[in-house]
Amino acid sequence: MDWKPFDRARATVGPEGLDLIESYSKGRINRRDFVRRGTVIGLSVPFLGAVIAACGGDDDTTSDDTAADGGSDTTPGTDTGTEPADTGGATGGIIRVATQKPAGPLDPVGMQDLGTYGIVAQCFEFLTTLGDSEMSPGVAPGLAETWESNEDGSVWTFHLRQGVKWHDGTDFTSADVAATMDRLAEANNSGLNGVIEAGSVDASDPAVAVFTLLAPNGNLPYLVSLYNAQSVITPVAYTTGTTLDASPNGTGAWKLKSFDAATGAEFERNPDWWGPAPALEGSVWSFFDDEGSMVTAASAGEVDTLVQFQFIGGDALFNDDNFTVNSFQAATHRQIWMRCDTGQFADPKVRQALGMCIDRQALIDTLFGGQADIGNDHVIAPVFPYFDASVPQRERDTEGARALLAEAGFPDGLSAVLHFGELQEIPELAQLIQAQAAEGGFTLELAGESLDTFYGAQWCPGEPADPPCSGAAELGIVDYGHRATPDVYLNAALSTGGVWNSSQYSSPAFDAAFADFSAAIGVEAQTAACKVIEEILLEDTPVIVPYFYNYISGFSNNFTGVRVSALGQMFLDQAAAA
Amino acid sequence: MTRYVLRRLALSIITLFLIILIVFLINNVFPSDIGRRLAGPFAPQVQVDEINEKLGTNDPLINQFGRLVKGVATFDYGDSYAQNRPVSDVIGQAFWRSMKLLVYALVLTIPLSVMAGIFAARRHGTVPDRAVVTLGVASSSIPEFVSSVILQAVIGVKLGWFHVVAKAPDGASILTQLSYLTLPALALVIVYFGYIARMTRAGVIAALDADYTRTATMKGLSTTQVLRRHVLRNGLQPTVSVVGVQIGYVMGSLVAIEKIFNYPGLGLTIFNAASKDPPVLVAGVLVVATVYMLATLASDLVLAWMNPRARLEVSR
Repeated sequence: MDWKPFDRARATVGPEGLDLIESYSKGRINRRDFVRRGTVIGLSVPFLGAVIAACGGDDDTTSDDTAADGGSDTTPGTDTGTEPADTGGATGGIIRVATQKPAGPLDPVGMQDLGTYGIVAQCFEFLTTLGDSEMSPGVAPGLAETWESNEDGSVWTFHLRQGVKWHDGTDFTSADVAATMDRLAEANNSGLNGVIEAGSVDASDPAVAVFTLLAPNGNLPYLVSLYNAQSVITPVAYTTGTTLDASPNGTGAWKLKSFDAATGAEFERNPDWWGPAPALEGSVWSFFDDEGSMVTAASAGEVDTLVQFQFIGGDALFNDDNFTVNSFQAATHRQIWMRCDTGQFADPKVRQALGMCIDRQALIDTLFGGQADIGNDHVIAPVFPYFDASVPQRERDTEGARALLAEAGFPDGLSAVLHFGELQEIPELAQLIQAQAAEGGFTLELAGESLDTFYGAQWCPGEPADPPCSGAAELGIVDYGHRATPDVYLNAALSTGGVWNSSQYSSPAFDAAFADFSAAIGVEAQTAACKVIEEILLEDTPVIVPYFYNYISGFSNNFTGVRVSALGQMFLDQAAAA
Repeated sequence: MTRYVLRRLALSIITLFLIILIVFLINNVFPSDIGRRLAGPFAPQVQVDEINEKLGTNDPLINQFGRLVKGVATFDYGDSYAQNRPVSDVIGQAFWRSMKLLVYALVLTIPLSVMAGIFAARRHGTVPDRAVVTLGVASSSIPEFVSSVILQAVIGVKLGWFHVVAKAPDGASILTQLSYLTLPALALVIVYFGYIARMTRAGVIAALDADYTRTATMKGLSTTQVLRRHVLRNGLQPTVSVVGVQIGYVMGSLVAIEKIFNYPGLGLTIFNAASKDPPVLVAGVLVVATVYMLATLASDLVLAWMNPRARLEVSR
């Protein structure tokens, strides 16, 4: 330990930074988590490097390595593709991208699907963006160059990048940030709901955006990052409902050249972008209704990169020598919700019993070829730095499940309808659950429908409107995309009155634990809060979470530097022809 | 003949009106919330209500139907709810894509099937005849999505002879577009070859056995003359009818092929519009119905030209 630089570093940071440095120096978190958390709270990469050097350098053995078997050992939730920044590739060329068809209009505030996220993220940017190196694996400076919070994390100050222009030539300022956040607050954005309200951002200084939060929150930089897909910064003139294709604009590296909702989009390089000039001239995006066709197109060399594909149906690409598959750990998961307020699943014993019927490893092996983390019926994914692995894993026990059902008043078993939307592997998951649950006394009838109707009819009907989702079906499977923090899962899906709370779960203990987590500053405090959350959710089991599966993407070996997030945002600013 | 055509067109208008009514009723008789479908499940109710107000979905059904009929009559279908652009653009582009595929498939299928049918009919009862019939039954039995996947995997991916996606880049030449459309067109050839070949075979066999054919042969006409003037003219009539009917089907029902080859033709467009884009749905169904009626009218006119007896019926 080199104490001089170490003490200098400690003297220059606030309480949260100090807590983080202490945790790292004492070996309570590993270097990767230290750097990830450090970038989130606004510590610069050189500063973090200096602390690491002062502490004696590499020590990745101090925490569990949470990389999934078979996954690449890149940073959880992000992917760097090949070595970024210095791609060494040729200048020029167009890359052909295959992506799922956007499910709706290119409305940055209202968009909900990965197809739209990817298109919008070509033109618009976030305050904090994808970390692109070992030294900044969490989030990196985007439209904000630096940021810091006050002592309790209730006020965050973002220093905006200067000289950034919108595609229409006007200047980017803090007024744009304030207007964007106001729109998100009014739209009850799931990531910022309860964190900010309209008027929370002070834009009196055009170069600085000051967020005064409704309650302290140590994760705000994540909540305004690419991991909250709707938080792209849009110009003041945008209103909720304005779409990218109707009003093309942005600050990003790519300008929208053409858009056809049925077939695809084209982007061209923005010569005035604030970052290093992209090597590529542009990209051509093709929309696909069917993932099988997408994989076939990649196998035939007719597209160069896929934003996302599944293990089921995509195995041809895993064995393709001309294709690089990136599979990285993520928090993407499926929740099997059960109504906690009424019906057959109101008794926690019944919910626990169903959880005990699930053979999670078998699901992972069958559906993902092993490329997933086992879930433990809570939403704290192993990819999160504050995941506590000491909470006992729920194991399959069909006899125990039957006993619990009998205790709950169902000695002869229980019948229910399992609703699900036809998305990716979910229909297969439903069939496997049906078979596994039958051994534990559950007779499940499967009811699948298209996503268009499923969300509004089964998962979260609009009526009754209060409380939200109170018209949800008794039992169903819903998908949750990756987030860099569990705030959305905890807040929207599980808090009392949460906007996505289909299970109608309401636990004062859980709500208090979530509040503690939100207010926690520092990895250790967050981990302690998460442990409580994990234990409560495991006990109450409002939802079953069987796995957190890897995000899988890939690109042809004719290109390098293709980066993608687990929310379907593909970053081509560092891509080049090989 | 003119009276006949006008009478058929007038009947078509009534048919189209009935189609509009049926589609409108199906779309509105079940509870649905277009605003919610468009805004997504997470949008605030205020936004959903705004969308419904703007689209007029809360208006009385009779008013909505009246607007729809007026729009159809003036060829103004309004804007697509889901794509924020005129329905005429959406349907027009989808129609043009389907038309290219249809024409290409027919150009490949009809000559091949007709020649196979004639070949089999002239060797009625022999091994070649059996082979054509068996091949035809087998190919027609294969669902088009199965043959599409096999063509993609073998010819597209393994051999690399043709493209596995059907849509060519914008601005591509006709030849390039045809190369992109070859595999889906071949999938259609596989489906329709057997059907058309067997219809042709049956018609030609019946014509070959007819008295007029025997008379023409005994009069001393050459085989070619007998075939051209008497056999084909009579024997191909069922084939003409079948082709007319199939054109309408192909235009609007190729959802599986369009999905597999990622080709947003009319079928896939209508399919995607079914749950949340009524203007596109109605316009698409009307286009398909119109094509269907025009195709059957055209086939009836061709039959009338081929068959003088049918011509008299048409002229009455």
